Amino acid sequence: MEEEAGEEPRLDRPTAPKDFHFYNMDLYDSEDRLPLFPEENTRLRRQTIQAEMTYDPKEVGNSFVDEGRMGVPAYPPYGIKRREPGWEQRDWRLEGEVETEDQDQDFSQWSMAGQSQALWESYRYTHGRASEEYECYVIPEEEDEEEAADLFCVTCRTPIRAVEKDFGEHKEHEVTPLSKALESAKEEIHKNMYKLEQQIIEMENFASHLEEVFITVEENFGRQEQNFESHYNGILETLAQKYEEKIQALGEKKKEKLEALYGQLVSCGENLDTCKELMETIEEMCHEEKVDFLKVSNETLGKFLKTKTDVEIAAQPEFEDQTLDFSDVEQLMGSMNTILAPSAPVINPQAPNSATGSSVRVCWSLYADDTVESYQLSYRPVRDSLPGKEQAEFTVTVKESYCSVTNLEPNTQYEFWVIAQNRAGPSPSSEHAMYMTAPSPPIIKTEAIRSCEEAALICWESGNLNPVDSYTVELTQVEEPAASGVTESVVGIPICESLIQLQPGQSYTICVRALNVGGPSARSTPATVRTTGSYFPLNKATCHPWLTISEDGFTVIRSERKNLTQELQPQQTQFTRCVAIMGNLIPVRGRHYWEIEMDEHLDYTVGVAFEDVPKQEDLGANGFSWCMRHTFASSRHKYEFLHNRTTPDIRITVPPKKIGILLDYENSKLSFFNVDIAQHLYTFSCQLQQFVHPCFSLEKPGCLKIHNGISMPMHATFY
Amino acid sequence: MALKQISSNKCFGGLQKVFEHESVELKCKMKFAVYLPPKAETGKCPALYWLSGLTCTEQNFITKSGYHQAASEHGLVVIAPDTSPRECNIKGEDDHWDFGTGAGFYVNATEEPWKTNYRMYAYVTEELPQLINANFPVDPQRMSIFGHSMGGHGALICALKNPGKYKSVSAFAPLCNPVLSALGRKAFTGYLGTDESKWKTYDATHLVKSYPGSQLDILIDQGKDDEFLSDGQLLPDNFIAACTEKKIPVVFRLQEGYDHGYYFIATFIADHIRHHAKYLNA
Repeated sequence: MEEEAGEEPRLDRPTAPKDFHFYNMDLYDSEDRLPLFPEENTRLRRQTIQAEMTYDPKEVGNSFVDEGRMGVPAYPPYGIKRREPGWEQRDWRLEGEVETEDQDQDFSQWSMAGQSQALWESYRYTHGRASEEYECYVIPEEEDEEEAADLFCVTCRTPIRAVEKDFGEHKEHEVTPLSKALESAKEEIHKNMYKLEQQIIEMENFASHLEEVFITVEENFGRQEQNFESHYNGILETLAQKYEEKIQALGEKKKEKLEALYGQLVSCGENLDTCKELMETIEEMCHEEKVDFLKVSNETLGKFLKTKTDVEIAAQPEFEDQTLDFSDVEQLMGSMNTILAPSAPVINPQAPNSATGSSVRVCWSLYADDTVESYQLSYRPVRDSLPGKEQAEFTVTVKESYCSVTNLEPNTQYEFWVIAQNRAGPSPSSEHAMYMTAPSPPIIKTEAIRSCEEAALICWESGNLNPVDSYTVELTQVEEPAASGVTESVVGIPICESLIQLQPGQSYTICVRALNVGGPSARSTPATVRTTGSYFPLNKATCHPWLTISEDGFTVIRSERKNLTQELQPQQTQFTRCVAIMGNLIPVRGRHYWEIEMDEHLDYTVGVAFEDVPKQEDLGANGFSWCMRHTFASSRHKYEFLHNRTTPDIRITVPPKKIGILLDYENSKLSFFNVDIAQHLYTFSCQLQQFVHPCFSLEKPGCLKIHNGISMPMHATFY
Repeated sequence: MALKQISSNKCFGGLQKVFEHESVELKCKMKFAVYLPPKAETGKCPALYWLSGLTCTEQNFITKSGYHQAASEHGLVVIAPDTSPRECNIKGEDDHWDFGTGAGFYVNATEEPWKTNYRMYAYVTEELPQLINANFPVDPQRMSIFGHSMGGHGALICALKNPGKYKSVSAFAPLCNPVLSALGRKAFTGYLGTDESKWKTYDATHLVKSYPGSQLDILIDQGKDDEFLSDGQLLPDNFIAACTEKKIPVVFRLQEGYDHGYYFIATFIADHIRHHAKYLNA
C-alpha cells in the first residue's frame, strides 16, 4: 500500500504538470518547466525584471564583456528563467501598466517569446549577471577563468570560447561571433517586440470594439424594452377606457329601461282605477233609472271601450345584443409588430471635398427606430433666376442613406431634401440642405507664362462663371524619377495668377485646380515651364501699329510699306512714337538674360523700360528707360547707350549681330554684350525701384529676333 | 636668375612684393613688382602683365592705380616691370624724359648705343614671363597684358605680335599709332633707325592690318580731356578704323572729363581687371 500510495503521486505527476504543461504548451517551449503557480511567480519575476530593465543597455553590454572575463558561465541558464524574455518584453511594451488580469492578452505575447527562444538564449547571456541573483542553477566552474566566451554556437545555442570551436564538442558546429549573434538576437527581439506591439494594438482595438458592441446592444435592448412598455401601456389604457365606456353605456341603458317600465306600470294602475270607477258608476245607474241608464251606459261604455287599453310591455327585459368593438385595440396590438411610417430623415451638410464638377454625394440619416424601405431624394439648382421662373426639380429613389447625384452643373449650388418611405407611408420631408458641385477646371494661359531661373508666373482663366473659393497650383518636376507624383502644391490662391518659386534649370509640369466648398475641380490641362534663363512673352498691348509679330511670337517685324503720315494719339500702353514693343518679364528681382538677333545694318534700340515709360517718347529719351541704340549712316555704325537722352562715347569695331542683355537687379546693372564674340559692350548702373521690362524698337524696316529662355553665357557672369 | 626681394606688403589678403634681378636681355639690374592674390597660396593663378607709361618705374602702378582689390577678388597675379633699363651708362640716357631711361617703348633697339641694353620687348615678352613662371605660382597658359600710354602701346603690340600668347589685352590712353606721333617717331628713330618699315613692326595700328585674326578682345579707355590726345600723340581713331576694317573686336570708351593721369586709371582699373579675368578665369 505504501508503495502504491507512494507511486500514485508519481503516476499522477505526469498528469498534473502535464496539465500545466498543456496550459502553457502554446506559450512556451516544451522544454519549459513551469512553477505550479505561475501567477505568483510571474509577479515576483516581474519585479526582478523591472529592476533589470533599469540598466542602461550599454552598461549591460559592457558588463557582459567584463563578466565574460571574470568567468561567468559559458552557457545560459535553463529552467523557468526562460520565460523571463516574455515578461521582459511585455513589461517593456506595456510599460508595467498591464496587470495580471490582462493575462489573456499576454498569452499571445508569450507565445512569441517561445519562438525566439534560441535568440533569447544568446541575448540573455548578456544579461546573465543581472539575472543570476534570481537564478537557481549552479554556476559551472570554468577551467580557464581568464578566457571569455567570444563565439556563439548556433547548433547548441550557447556561447562558446574560440578554443572550444577548434577542439571541443562544437568543432563541427556552426558558430558565429558572439557579438554578431547578440546583434541578430537583439534585432529579432526588436522585431518580435514590434509584432507584439502590433498585436496589443489590435487587441486593444478589438476590445474597444467589443465594448462598443456591448453598449450598443445594451442601448438597443433598452430602447426596445421601452418601446414595448409604452405600447403595452397604450393598449392597456385603451382597454381600460373601453371598459369604462361600456360599463357606463350599460348602466344608462338599464336606467332607461327601468324608467320606461315604471312609467308603464303607473299608467296601467291609472287605467285600472278608471275601469273600477266606471264599473261602479254603471252599477249605480242600473239600480236607478232604466231609460237614462241605457242611454248613458251605452254612451259611456262605448266611449270607454273605444279607449285602447295598452297592455304591451314598453321595455324588453332581455339584454340587447351589444357588440364589443375591439378594432382599435387590435390595431394597437398589430402595431406592436408592424411598422409606422418613418420620421423625417436628417440630411447631412455637405462633406468637404466630396463633390466633383458634375456630381455631389448627399448623405442623410434616419432615426434608429424607423424602418425605411426607400428614400426619395429631391433637388433643384439654386440660381439667381428671374422671379417666378421656378427651377426644375428632380427626384431620385434610392435604398441607401446616401446618393451620388450625377449630371449636375459645375460650380453650382443645389438644394437637396429627402423623404423616407415604407409600406406604412412616407415621412415628412427633411430639412433642405445646400450642396455645391466642384468647379470646372481652370484654363492655364500658356501663352502668358513667364519664368526665370527661380520662379514662374502662371496665369489662368477661371473656367467658371460663378466665383470660386480659391485655386491650387500643382507642380511636378519632369526630370524626377517619380514623375507621376505631385511634388508640390501651392494652395489658397485667391486670384487667377500665381508666382511660384522653383529650382533653376528644371522642367516642371504645372496644373491648376479651382476649389469651392464642394471640393477641387479636375486638373487643368497641364503646362510646361522650364527654369532655364528668363522666359517672357511679348506684350502685344504695347505694340506700335507698324510692327507685326511672327507666329512664334518672338520675331518683331517692321515692313517696308510707306508709313502712315497721320500722328497717332498718345496712349497709356501702346507705343505711338518709337516703333517699339515691350516684353512681359517676370517680376522677380534676380538676374535676367536674353538675346536679340538682328542684321548688323539695321537701326534698332533695345534695352529695358518701366512699364509706364512714356509711350510717346523715344526709348532712352527719359529716366524710365535704358537702351542701346544702333544707327547706321554713311557706312558708319554708331552705338549709343541712352538714358535720359545721354550716352557715353563708346566705339565698337565689330558690329554685333546678336546682342545679349543682362539685367541684374541685385547689383543694379544692365549690361550689353556682343554674343558671338563674348564681348562686353557697356554696363549701365541703374537704380531700378520698379520692375522693368525688355523693350525693342525698330527705327528702320527690318526685324529683330528675340531669344529667351536661354541660360546666361559664362562670360556674362563677370558683369 | 636669382631674385632679390626688395619689399613685401600685405594687401587685400595677398602680398604686394618688389624684386630685383640681373636681367639677361637688358644686362642690368631690373626691378619688378608682383602682386600675389590670396588664391595664389593654394594654387596656380593667371598672370596679368602691366606695362607703365613714360617716366614710370615699377612703383607708379602699384602705388597709384588701386588695382589690388580687383586683382585679389579675381585671383590674378599682377606683374608690373620697370619701363626701361637703368644705369647702363649710355651717353644721353637721362637727357630726355621721353627717350632713354624710363622710356624703353617696349622695342628691341637695333641702333647703337641702345641695342645692347634697350631690349624691353624681349624682356617683357620672354625673359620676364619665364622668370615669373619659374618663381611664382602662375599658370603659364593663362596670361594677359595691359598698360598705360607708352605701356598701352607696349601691351597692344605684345598682343598683336604674338597671336594666342595673351588671352586678352586692354589699354588706358595708349599710343595707338606711334609712327604718326611725335613721341613715337622720336623714340623709334632713336632705337630703330630711320627705316620706317621697321617702325611699323612696333606700331599697333599697322600690326592690326596684318593680324591673323586669332580671337582677341581689346578694351581701351581714353580720357576725353587728355592733353596727349588733343596733342595728336595717341591717335586712337586710326587704331579703331583699322580694327573696324579688320573686324578685330574693340570697345573704345571715350571718358568724359578724364585726363591722362593715374586718377583716370584708378577710376577704370576694376573694369580692366574684370575684362582680363573674364578671359583668364573662363
